[in-house]
Amino acid sequence: MAHVQRPKIISIITITSIILILLAFPMLFMPSIKRMGDFIPMTIGIIITLQFISVIGIWHMKQWGVQLFIAMFTIRVVTFMLLEVFDFRFFFNIFYSLLFIIFFLIYYKEMDKNL
Amino acid sequence: MVFTLLKESIVFAWQALVSNKLRTFLSLLGITIGIFAIITVFTIVDSLERNIRGSVQSLGENVVFVMKWPWTFGPDYPWWKYMNRPVPVYSELAELQRKIKGADALGFRIGARKTLKQNNNTVENAIVSGWSFDYSKIKSFDIIDGRYFREDEAEGGYNVVLLGYSVAQGLFPNDENAVGKTIKVAGRNCKVIGLIKKEGESMLGNSMDNQAIVPYNFGRLLMDVKSENSDPFIAAKAKPGVTNAQLKDEITGVMREIRGLKPLADDDFALNETNLLSKNFDGLFDMVSIAGAIIGGFSILVGGFGIANIMFVSVRERTNIIGIQKSLGAKNYFILSQFLFEAVFLSLIGGIIGLLLIYILTLSLHSVIDMEITLTRSNIILGLSVSVLIGIISGFIPAYGASQLDPVEAIRTN
Repeated sequence: MAHVQRPKIISIITITSIILILLAFPMLFMPSIKRMGDFIPMTIGIIITLQFISVIGIWHMKQWGVQLFIAMFTIRVVTFMLLEVFDFRFFFNIFYSLLFIIFFLIYYKEMDKNL
Repeated sequence: MVFTLLKESIVFAWQALVSNKLRTFLSLLGITIGIFAIITVFTIVDSLERNIRGSVQSLGENVVFVMKWPWTFGPDYPWWKYMNRPVPVYSELAELQRKIKGADALGFRIGARKTLKQNNNTVENAIVSGWSFDYSKIKSFDIIDGRYFREDEAEGGYNVVLLGYSVAQGLFPNDENAVGKTIKVAGRNCKVIGLIKKEGESMLGNSMDNQAIVPYNFGRLLMDVKSENSDPFIAAKAKPGVTNAQLKDEITGVMREIRGLKPLADDDFALNETNLLSKNFDGLFDMVSIAGAIIGGFSILVGGFGIANIMFVSVRERTNIIGIQKSLGAKNYFILSQFLFEAVFLSLIGGIIGLLLIYILTLSLHSVIDMEITLTRSNIILGLSVSVLIGIISGFIPAYGASQLDPVEAIRTN
């Protein structure tokens, strides 16, 4: 399989994403999230974990990474809307995720189709 | 297929555990400490919250307390004004009972620490509470033996007493039937008519266990009712459909009238509510939980790096095995799943050890302090799910790297 060269902008975005995702992890333990229900922290944790996996895929210039990132972004937005969490973090997440998706889509065709 | 994968991963993980005991132990320690730190904070906060909420509820929901001092205050608290306020008195209760329409029940309570005696058994510093008859409609408690005092006993100031669990245990240590016996309350003879069910320790210090309840008209003979030391207050429980705000407005009007306050004069009494107390504690518990979340969350992440490290080493050690597996037809996802399951398994062991330590801690604490500290279902779910997720996060990069290895290159690796 041919090795796809990773553009610098994708490297910067993926490193930023990993940092943001890891910083979001302690959010699972916030009292406001815990109060929503026994399984809510776990649900949000799964979304965060899958987002992390998608970013690793993008780092390796895999198309599945972009697909997973978009899917997780959509699920995260829908979940937070259902939970009625409309705080600063929610809108900040939408803003940077959409920005990242635009860059990912620009390089999407250059990415590897294989797993 | 999944079971084969799971079985192989568990076998690999177990081999890693057994062959490199110290390395594995140190790697798991991060997750164990992280889970232990965060779930301990949540367990203690949840238990304290439950205890305080229970204590507040036992004071009565939808209850307004007429007192000298307010329960909540800000930085510009004019304590010097409150110092000169009079304490509520029993005669004000009768006036309020006559004039307040929105209250379901109104009660008066005083209390002071006194010594109780029964033959050679003495209980010192027990709280002797003098209740008006209707106070029992506001304060919730259960009688396990005997009865509450009758209205004529309350009005006539009969020397009858209901004992809390610890007081009864202190005065009657041999589990003899206390009801009907005579004890001395602050030097006066008093007949025991009832025993109150054990409540356990209360964070607010209002547990009934260390109390002896007497009718107010008897209690006033034992303590100075006009002194602040006897902590007198009037409690009013709102009728169904009447809000606390409405009740407070009504009480304010009547109390101002009773005390003859001029229209522009400040109130010389405080109206306290149990829900205000709960709200104050909510803020405090949230702060402790957030601090615990940040500290514990980052320690779990650091623990994740330990797992990632052990997985990188594991992949490096088994590179030629991966090469052989791939050359025999193993798919990328099979290799990925193998290492991912291993990371999750290791992380889960760390999490389970952390939860077991918390369970042992709760048992030890329970034997030391008389307060229920429980590892709740939600905290167990949180601990286990976080362990699994950290395992996936920390194991994915090495596992994905292993799955992408070229079989020829991998076999050649020493």
